[in-house]
Formats: sequence, C-alpha cells, structure tokens
Amino acid sequence: MNCFISSIRQFYLKSFFLFTFFLLVVNFCFSQADGEKIFKQNCAACHRIDGQKLVGPGLKDVASRVPQPADEWLFKWIKNNVALQKAGDAYANKVFNDNAKLPMLVFEGVLSDDAIKSVIAYMKNPPAPASNVTAAAQNAALVTPQQNTGESTPYILFIVSVVLIMIVIILGVVLRNLQTVANAKKGLPPLARLGVVKWASNHKRLLALIGILCLVLIAGATYQALMEIGVYQTYKPVQPILFSHQTHAGKLTINCVYCHSDAEKGKTAGVPSANVCMNCHKAISSGPLTGKVEIAKIYDAVGWNIETGKYDKPQHPIEWVRVHALADFAYFNHSQHVVVGKQACANCHGDMAATDVALQNSPLTMGWCIDCHRKTEVPGMTSNPYYADLHKKLAEKYKGQSITVEKMGGLDCIKCHY
Amino acid sequence: MKKYWQSLDELKETPEFLDSKKNEFAEDVPTEVLGRKYLTPNPSPNGEGSEEKSGFSRRDFLKVMGFSVGAVTLAACETPVNKTIPYLFKPEEITPGIANWYASTYFDGHDYCAVLVKTREGRPIKIEGNKLSKITHGGASARVQASVLSLYDSERLKGPVAKGSETTWEKVDQEITAKLSAGNVRILSSTIISPSAKNIISNFSAKYPNTKHVTYDAVSYYAISKANEGVIPSFNFDKANVIVSFGADFLVNWLSPVEHAWQYAQGRKLDNGKKTLSKHVQFETILSLTGSNADLRVPVKPSQIGTAVLNLYNALASMAGETKLNASGKVAEQAITDSAKWLWANKGKSLVVCGVNDEAIQTVVAAINKMLSNYGSTIDVENYSNCHQGNDAHFADLMDDMKNGKVAALIVYNSNPAYTAPCFADAIKKVGLKISFSGSMDETASLCDYVCPDHHYLESWNDAEPKQNQFSLTQPTIAPIFNTRCAQESLMKWSGVANPNYHEYIQSTWERLLFPADLGFTEHWNESLHNGVAEIIPVIATPSSPSLPQGKGFNQAKAVHEEQPKGEEEAHGVVNKMSLSECASIIAKDKGGDVELVLYEKTGMGIGNQANNPWLQEFPDPISKCTWDNYITMNPTDMKDKYSLLERGDYMGDVVELTVGGQKISAPVYPQPGQALGTIGLAYGYGRTSAGKVAKGVGVDAYRFLQWKNGTVQNSVSGVKVSDAIGEKHEFACTQTHHTMMGRNSIVQETNLETYTNKPKEEWNPMVAVAMHDSTANYHEGPAAEANLWDAHDKPGFRWGLSLDLNSCIGCGSCVISCSAENNVPVVGKTEVRKTREMHWIRIDRYYSSDMNLEKGDEEGKGLIESYREMESASENPKVVFQPIMCQHCNHAPCETVCPVLATTHSTEGINQMIYNRCIGTRYCANNCPYKVRRFNWFEYDKNNMFADVNPATWANDLGRMVLNPDVVVRSRGVMEKCTMCVQRIQEGKLTAKKLERKLMDGEIQTACQQSCPANAIIFGDLNNKETQISKHYDDERRYLLLEEVGVQPNVFYLTKVRNA
Repeated sequence: MNCFISSIRQFYLKSFFLFTFFLLVVNFCFSQADGEKIFKQNCAACHRIDGQKLVGPGLKDVASRVPQPADEWLFKWIKNNVALQKAGDAYANKVFNDNAKLPMLVFEGVLSDDAIKSVIAYMKNPPAPASNVTAAAQNAALVTPQQNTGESTPYILFIVSVVLIMIVIILGVVLRNLQTVANAKKGLPPLARLGVVKWASNHKRLLALIGILCLVLIAGATYQALMEIGVYQTYKPVQPILFSHQTHAGKLTINCVYCHSDAEKGKTAGVPSANVCMNCHKAISSGPLTGKVEIAKIYDAVGWNIETGKYDKPQHPIEWVRVHALADFAYFNHSQHVVVGKQACANCHGDMAATDVALQNSPLTMGWCIDCHRKTEVPGMTSNPYYADLHKKLAEKYKGQSITVEKMGGLDCIKCHY
Repeated sequence: MKKYWQSLDELKETPEFLDSKKNEFAEDVPTEVLGRKYLTPNPSPNGEGSEEKSGFSRRDFLKVMGFSVGAVTLAACETPVNKTIPYLFKPEEITPGIANWYASTYFDGHDYCAVLVKTREGRPIKIEGNKLSKITHGGASARVQASVLSLYDSERLKGPVAKGSETTWEKVDQEITAKLSAGNVRILSSTIISPSAKNIISNFSAKYPNTKHVTYDAVSYYAISKANEGVIPSFNFDKANVIVSFGADFLVNWLSPVEHAWQYAQGRKLDNGKKTLSKHVQFETILSLTGSNADLRVPVKPSQIGTAVLNLYNALASMAGETKLNASGKVAEQAITDSAKWLWANKGKSLVVCGVNDEAIQTVVAAINKMLSNYGSTIDVENYSNCHQGNDAHFADLMDDMKNGKVAALIVYNSNPAYTAPCFADAIKKVGLKISFSGSMDETASLCDYVCPDHHYLESWNDAEPKQNQFSLTQPTIAPIFNTRCAQESLMKWSGVANPNYHEYIQSTWERLLFPADLGFTEHWNESLHNGVAEIIPVIATPSSPSLPQGKGFNQAKAVHEEQPKGEEEAHGVVNKMSLSECASIIAKDKGGDVELVLYEKTGMGIGNQANNPWLQEFPDPISKCTWDNYITMNPTDMKDKYSLLERGDYMGDVVELTVGGQKISAPVYPQPGQALGTIGLAYGYGRTSAGKVAKGVGVDAYRFLQWKNGTVQNSVSGVKVSDAIGEKHEFACTQTHHTMMGRNSIVQETNLETYTNKPKEEWNPMVAVAMHDSTANYHEGPAAEANLWDAHDKPGFRWGLSLDLNSCIGCGSCVISCSAENNVPVVGKTEVRKTREMHWIRIDRYYSSDMNLEKGDEEGKGLIESYREMESASENPKVVFQPIMCQHCNHAPCETVCPVLATTHSTEGINQMIYNRCIGTRYCANNCPYKVRRFNWFEYDKNNMFADVNPATWANDLGRMVLNPDVVVRSRGVMEKCTMCVQRIQEGKLTAKKLERKLMDGEIQTACQQSCPANAIIFGDLNNKETQISKHYDDERRYLLLEEVGVQPNVFYLTKVRNA
C-alpha cells in the first residue's frame, strides 16, 4: 500500500514538473509571437530573418557573430545604435561601415525594453525558413488560406495542460475515496486530511480572491480572443501566381501606382489587370526567382503565344485570392487617402518592397482607422483651396493645436458607413 | 385540507383536464407560429390543427438556436477565402468603383425622355434626366426611372421562340423568310420616332411589296392630330398665363408629361421675388394629378366635356364677336365664364388643351386656341411632336383585314394589342404567320408563331426624332444579357441584308440625311452621341428639295418611301376637316348616361407595358396612395347615396360588378373624393394575364372597355351598370390612410396669391410661437426657433439642407422611384404594405381639404368631437396639396436622444446619420420621430423567400441584384433605415472637388430626388454658404419648418404653397 501511495506521490511530482514545463513553453511561445510581430512591424523593412541582405544585413545566426554576451550587445545596439557607435564600440562601427554607412533607426522610446528583448529572442530562434516556395509553386492552383498558426499553438498547449491537470486531480480524488472506503471496511481510522485541503480551509478568503482573479483573467482573455475574430492581420494567402512584390517594387523600384493605378482614381486600388503585366512581360519571359514557370501562367491567362507574338490562345481569368477584404458596411476610398490625404502606401500596407507575397499588414479594424484619423493632419490642407474656409475657421477655433482629420469631421460615422 | 379548484373540469377531473395538465403551457409559444409560417416552405392550410403537427417546439427552437450560435462562432474564426478576378484586358474607360455615364433616350412608344444612364462596372444602375435636352430639361418620370429595373426582369425571353419552344436565330430567320413572301404583310407597331427604323421598314416594304405599316398607340391621340392638320403640335405651358384643360392629365400622362411638368413649374415658381403665377383651370372627371394641382377644378361627366368646350367657345366667341355654335345646355356656367374672361385677357398667352380623343371636341378646342391667337405662341405647329402617330382608322382597317383573312403575315413591334385592343385576340386567329418582337412572352407574343425578342432599350442602338428637328440617340449601356436581337436588325435580315448592324445603319442614315459631308460627320456624330441630343435641320427637308412638302420634316420625308394605305395625304391623318357646326352637332349627340366610366392612366403604371416592374407596382399612386392595385374610383357621396356602399376606406373595399355591354368584371370600389358625381374611373395597366409573376393577379383589365366612337378610340363609356356590393371584400394596400390635416396649420402651409402679394408675411406665414418664460418667470410667447433644449451641433464646414418648394411640387412621385433606385430600397409586396411596412425613404403625403373646420363647427353649434369627426372626411371636390416628406435631418433630432446604442447621431455636416451596423433594432427612434420617416427592416428582404416574387434584389435572383447601387449597403433584418440625403453622392462630390483642388460648387451635388424632379421643386445645398441657391430659399419669406413647434429644428424646410385663386 505504501508503495502504491508513494508511486502516486511520484506521479503528482512528475505532473507538477510537466505542468511547469507547459507553462514555460506557453510563455515562450507568447514572447516569440510578440517578437515576430514587432520584428515584422519595425525591422522587416530593412532586415531579413534569413541570411540574405536587404538594406541591412540578414539576421541569420546574428547572435553568434556579435560581441558576447550577444543579448546584451544586441539590446544596446537596437536601443540606440548611434550611441553605441559613438561610445567607440568597434563592432558597431564595423557594421556601420560594412553597410554603406547607412544608419539604422534608433528605437529608444519607440520600443520598450521588453519589446526589444522579445525581438532579440525572436532573432535568435527564428521560425523555420518558409520552404513552401517551391511546393506552393507546384500546387499553386490549390489555393488555401494560410493563417499564422504561431499564435494558436500556445492555446492548444494551454488547454492540453489544463485537461491533464484536471485528470490528475480527478484521479487523485477517486483514489482517496477508494482508500477511505477501504479503510472503513478494514476498520482503520479515516485518512488524515491532505495538507492542501487543510491549507485551503484555513485560507478561504485568499482562495476566493485567487478565484476571482482567475475569472477576471479568463474573461479578459476571452474578450481579447473575441475581438480578434474577423481581424486578419498578417493574412497571407497563397496566390495562384507567385508574384513577388519584392522583385517588382523593391529591386526594380516600380512605383506602386504603376500597377495599382486605380488607387489614385477610385475607391479600390485594384488588382492590376493582366494587360498591365504584359506591358513588360511581353519582353521578359523569365524571372530571377521562378524562371519561366510563373510568367508562363500570365501568358496562359491572357492567351499570349510566344511563338506568334499574338494573343491568339484561349484566355483564362486569373483568380487571385483577395487579401484585404473590408466589411461591406465600411466604405473606404483609396483616392481620398492617396491623392487628397497624400498618404504613402506603406503607411497601411507596410513595406511591400520587402515582401514577396502580399499580406495584410494592418488590422483594418475601426479602432485602427480612428487612431490614425485622430493623429493625422491632412497634408495638403493649407494649400488645397477646397479646405481654405474650413481651415481658417478651425485654425481660429483650435488655436495652436494641430488640425487633425478628426477635427475636420473625419470621425463622422456616416463618412464610412452608408 | 381545503382544495381549491380553477374550473369545473378540474373539480370533476375530466379526461380533457388530465390531458391538459401534462402540458406546461396552455398555449403554444409564438415560435410555433414562426416555425409554421416562415420556416416551412408550404404552410398547411388546415389552420390550427397543423400547428401541433409541425413539431417545432420551444426546445427545438432553442436547440437550433444554440447550434447556430455555435456554428457561427466557429465559422467566424476562419479566414474566408474570397476570390478577386481582375480583367485580363481592362477596358480603358472602366475604373472599378467609378461610375460611367452615357447619354441615351427612353422611348417606349408612349413616353419620351432624354436620359443619362449611370453604369457601374458595365451594369446600368440608375436612370436620370438629361439636362441638355430642350424637351425634357433633365426631368425623368417614375416610369422612366423604373425602366432600368425592367432590364433585369428575369422573365424576359432568353432567345427566339418558335411555336412555344426555344430555337435559334438561324432557324427563325430561315423559316420566316420562307413564309413572308406568301401574301399581304402587315407591320403593326406603336409609334416609331426613329428615322432609321422607319427607313428600315420602308426597305422591308420594298422587298415585300405587299407590306403596310400600321401605327397603333395603346392610348390614342389621333383626334388631336386630325384637328391640327395631321400633326400633334408642341404645347408650351411655360408661355401660358392661363391654362384651361378639359380632362388632359398633362403633368403625368398626356402627350409629353416630363416636358409639360417642367414647363408648368416655370409658371408656378415664385423665386427671386417673382409675384405672378399662371392660372390653371381643370375640367375633368376623375381626380387626376393635374387636376389636383389646378387653381380651379371643376368635376364634369365625360359626356359633358364636349358641351363645356362648346360653352367656352361661345363665351369667347361673344367676346371676339364671332358666331356662336349650338350647344345643348350649360355646364359649369360660372367656371366657364370666368375661364373665358381670364383667357381673353391673356390672348396669345393662354392655352386650352383637351384630353378627349374625339375629333369634334378637339376641333372646337383648336378653334378656341385659334380665336385666342395661341397658335404660334403657346402652341407650336412648326416643331410638332412625333411621339404619338397612332392612327385609329388604319388600325380599324387592319382589324377588318385580319378578320377577313386578308393578312398573310403580321409582325407586331413594341406593341401589345392582345392586351390593349379588345378586338385583337379574335382578329389574329385568321392570320397565317404571326411574329412578335416582344422582349417577354406577353399577351400578344403568346398568340404568335414566332417571338423574336428585341433588346431592352438599354442594350440597344437607336435614334429618335421626338419633335421636329430635335434628335436624340439611344446607345447600349450593357452587352445584351440574353440571346436577343434588335428588332431593326431582324427586319434588315429578313429584307435580305446578310450581316445587319443597326449601329452602322444609324450612322450611315445620319451621315446621308442629317449631316452634309463637308461639316465633318465624325465630330458631329460623337458630339451628338455624347450629348444624347442634337438639334439638326435635316438637309433633306430644305425647301430646295422639291419632292418633299416643306416643314413636314424628317419623319414625313421618310413617308415618301412608304406606301401608305390610303395615299400620302392621309399618312398623318389629314382628312376633310369637320366644320365647327358639324362638330357641335356631333357633340350634342352624346347624351351620356346615368353612370359613366372613364378609363385613365395611373402615374406609375401608365399603359401597363412595365406591369412586371415591382418598383412601379409598389409605387403609391399620388392621388389614391394605393399600391399593387387598380380599382373603381367613385365619389364617396355616390357610394353613400347611389349604392349604399360603406365607405370602408383605404384598408378594405367592397367588390361590385361592373357591366358594359356584354363585358362584366368585378372590381373593388375605392372612395375617391373629387370624382365627378355619376361617374366611375378605372385605370389601365393592370389585370395583365401574361406579364410575369410580379404583375400576375394584380388588378383588373380596363382596356376591354375602350369604345370606338366617332371614328376614334375613346376612353369614356356611358351605359355602365354598377351592381351593389356582391359581398366580397377586397384588401387595399395604401400608404396613407388619413386624408385631411384636421385643422393643423404646421404641416402644409398654403395661401393665395392675393394674400401673398399684398399682405405682410405675419398674416400668411406667421412665426411659430411657444410659451417661454424670462428670468423673472413671466410667461410670454417666443419664437419656437429660440426654444432650445440642447446646444447646437458644431458645423464648421458644410451644413447640408434640402428645400422643398410646395408651389413647384406637382406630386408626381418621380423622386420616390429615383430614391428607391439610388438607395437600394427593397420592395416588400402588398401584404407588407398593408402592415405599413413599406420601405420608401421619401413619401409624398397628399392632403384633401375638408368642408368642416373648428370655427364653422362652432358656428353651427357642433361639439368639438363632432367637428373633428367631420373634419376627417374630405370635401366632395377637395383642394389637394402634396408634400414630399423624407428624414428632416433635425438639428435637435429626437431619434438621436433615444437610441440606446448611439446608432443614430449627428454629423458635423448636419446630417442625421443612421449607422446600420450599429443598430440593434429597438425602434425607439422610429417611435420618437415626429415625421414618421424611419423604416424598419422586418425581414431580410434580399434573402427571404417570402419576397422572392416581389423584391428584385434577392439572392435567388442574380439578375435583379445587378440593379443594386454598390455604393449603398443592402440593409439587413432588424435595423432601421431612412433618408441619408444621398450621403454617397455628397461624399463623391466632395472628393471630386478635393482631388481637383478647388472649392465645391453650388449645385454640383444633387440628391437623387432632386435630380429626377421634373419641376425642380427640390434643392439641395450648403446652408453655411450664403451664396447658394438653398440659402436664398432659406431667406425666402415663404420658408417654414414642418411641425416647427416641436422644436426639432430640421435642416429640411418647405416653401409655402401659393394658389392663384
């Protein structure tokens, strides 16, 4: 019997460690996910997580090449690389000189210390490189939505651990009950109360407090999770043609509105029609990344015959997967923001010159829209005669304050919802 | 222990009681009803019993609900995959999200209108008037607006049909050409105003020499052309100071209503300090829209109109010193004398028109106008109208020929005589080959061997010469949806043209006949096509070309090529003219009857060719406010005195039997104040048997009562028998059930011209006062505008407002359809309208005057309740006012303060904004709205199968959905909606100005209602800018606010109606 009980104790001990491990994993996953997000928002415009150089060096194995301890040095560098250089850090100056003396942005005041740490954690343990390029090329017709699964893993682990703990507790209770019954039959005295139970009965208030705290946390997490429904930030579906924005907008520096010309005219920026592709690809039939494979798909779609140099083959429309899908009840006009508001494409879409496949860079939630409207001034307001009277009136009313979109009525519901 | 019992059953413990004890609820919960009525496709007719059998219990309901909630939550977690398919080769002119406009022409054989067509991504979605037109001046009637929906009618024919089964064009062409040369061919069409189409018909006649073309209009104006030397003149109501109309509903139906409405409004406007009004007298039988706008309206029986015209002639003749005619008696003596006086005082600036298709009467009317020297000023014979060339005599001949088997082949084009002409169905039986060009399987097409469906006008090329030297073009705005072929191309094909192309044909016709080559045809053509209209003096009609009668114009010129049935001089009905004394004796013969019937056109339905158009079916008739119906109109006095019919009102009507000759129908009686005593009215356009599912079973057919009288088809019938109620009840669906203003003066304000010109504003538009108190708590009366419960909203930029001029508004309702089209307003069907659930964002309230008022009641010693009861009923011949009402966009909006979720708030531009995605459907706002302009979505009209037959924009019908405006959300169930002042247009207009870096111009943004108004009664603009037209209206002394005393301070305001009486 004793042996049996000790084995039970062992089991409890093991499950305790197991649970702690789970918590660690969960914690780690969270911080890594955070780091990835921050990296994509702040660093990815200039750095790639793999070895390739973009504006700045690729960050593969970065921790092993910088002065040790790597975490400390990287933290200083990211926080204020200029200060580090000025302080005479040899490696910092070397990096600066090696990269065409282009200074890196200073993140002091932009990113919190914790954020920087999570970015470093992310850089040290990057996810496996996206090896699906070739695979996807073969299965391009099979379009499946790809959600970032990095965030759902910790939830699953968390749930599994909770379930395991529950099982352990239930088994324990069952065991105790059995033993109580056995003892009663044998006429032995009943089992002493467990230490935990004793402790619990002595600290009921504390327990209640912990219980309430747990409930609040769960409710908060549920609310957060619910608010994420329908938000498809980082949505990056596989497209039927592996078009690389990086090649076109980045390497070849083609202006965004060359292809997305509707952005300056109408409410949609528009997926370019294939005849726009053909402006160049009549002549260019092979690309640096995928050779002829992907460009041939355009030819197939428009019915271009390379031999005859004519559109004499059957045509098939290209079914792209829509990346940015605003809800039907929200009206958004590109030309309003691009032409009148003079907003750069990257403000919402991120640096497409550094991204291969189109992804949804911004959450496109109403809160996100409104935040911007609260902060932003209309750049051409003083020079655009349309705003002349309004600007004069508002300038008087809000003396000295900046006249944001909000102050001009940019938060009126009906400007977007009708 | 005492036992209490609830019933005897319980005491006796009967088996029923023991049974019922097992049930938790004595009655079924309402979900039961829901399940039975709406969730099962075929509700059982057994009534109560079936409820239990349906097996949809409360628990099932909860289960289903729980499952759905779970499923929805799960589904929401996954990113939906949407495809986006761009053009392969994008047409240069198309930018997704930006509308393209094309100028075009609407002509359905009855109404002409120069239009602009708004297309989005290649789909026409909205029709608006073309401001460049010198005929229609940018107006568009309800029927023209609604025509875009007829394009997406799923019951249009999908391809050619031979003997009831679908076939191919090759086969049809082969078979028809083989049969055509067999004998006499007749082409029966409604009026054709296209010079090119006429040319094609003459070419066809050349190929088949036995061909004759017969023009037949469903509503004929043959008598007018006979009385005016073969042409229908243009009438200029804008140049007339005095207008006298005998039964001509010229504002919405007669000849060219959009044109007349614009002209009429010019004489009724009081803008810019103008203090004169035209005077309008109307003698008529039914209460028409035109009559309801008249300063003096005299109800007369149809048989009396001729006598009234003669009386007027005689009254004027005595002033002019000419010989009088014999008139049998006197009609409306005072009104005739007054009219004669006013007309004579405005010689050359007056106009007498008549809507009766009787040559004798029209000849006398023409003589009156001649006597008044109106020819050349208000009546223009030179620039005559081509829009109504129907020839009753030719049609009668054709019917005879057909009956006698003399017609081997009949081709029916743009006409539905099987429905509109009572004798046609019999006559067609003896015709060998019957061909129809109808776009749908209408009554005539279903009698034909071959149906070769024509394009809808929005898919087709065409040209038109609505008036002498006024040309316009129709251009396609969408590729043909179905396998249809333009009728002209069919005729060309059968004439032997191998690859007919009507577009090229029109161009070559124009090049040959309308533009001398040295002027540069391409530029002229492009300009005409861009503008949609062109004023051209055709080269062919110059005096130098000897073969053509001078001034007969292009259409006449074409007639030379045609072999007319009875020689050239009769081509336009020029016959031996009746002398006036002959006319008088013919008129005297009409003795009338005890009860006379008048057939009339409704403002929405017209001649009924668009009966399958749900927008028009749900369009409330401006006078009766009835939707989805026609009915016998009868004066309430007659109903009481003659037939002892209860005036059941607008909700329920008694059905009676109507007998004329051998024809008998049963129809409900609708109480219509203003209807001449001893008469009844019945509208055309209903009772269609083969129009489609929308029109099916709606109303009764009136065309069968048309009568052949004095050589013309006439719309009035005497010798009518109306039975007493046969015991059946008919349900009406009216949108307004209260008809008088009950002595209130803050709804419609009106005054007369004399008071307006001579008295200070306080007398006719007094300040609205409310009780106020100052700091010492002394009560006094102060202006309502100063009594504010709330602070004003800040409107730094624009403050949008709408002004509605009640003097210009004729009540035609074109704005209602325009609004529905612009804002995706759903059609809900008759049952829902009866529950006051119609969804129109703009309504036109119509009020009748009453004989009773509080002062009069007091004098007569009547109690207050008795007086009010009498004030509820309209006068026998009431004065009528129209008032368009939409959301008033109150500055202190009562709806905003009661919304628990802030779904309706105030914008910085003064718009009361309604946010659908925020609304939870409490309907507090609608309850708190003093104007009752908010509409609640009781159902998902676009998805619910209950509405599949009526609402064009359902998921079940991809075609109907194409008419939706992509810039406006389709509202879901459970949300409130209302007028947004066309915010999508405001936003678009502002953005255009911003992008071009210039100021927004006044008039640049037009709301849909404003754009379509043929009378320009609605003005939209910025009230913060003092230079705008609306600001000028705001400062007008006639301005008043609707229900100003409630203190909601609307941004929409009205201008007092001033009558010239």
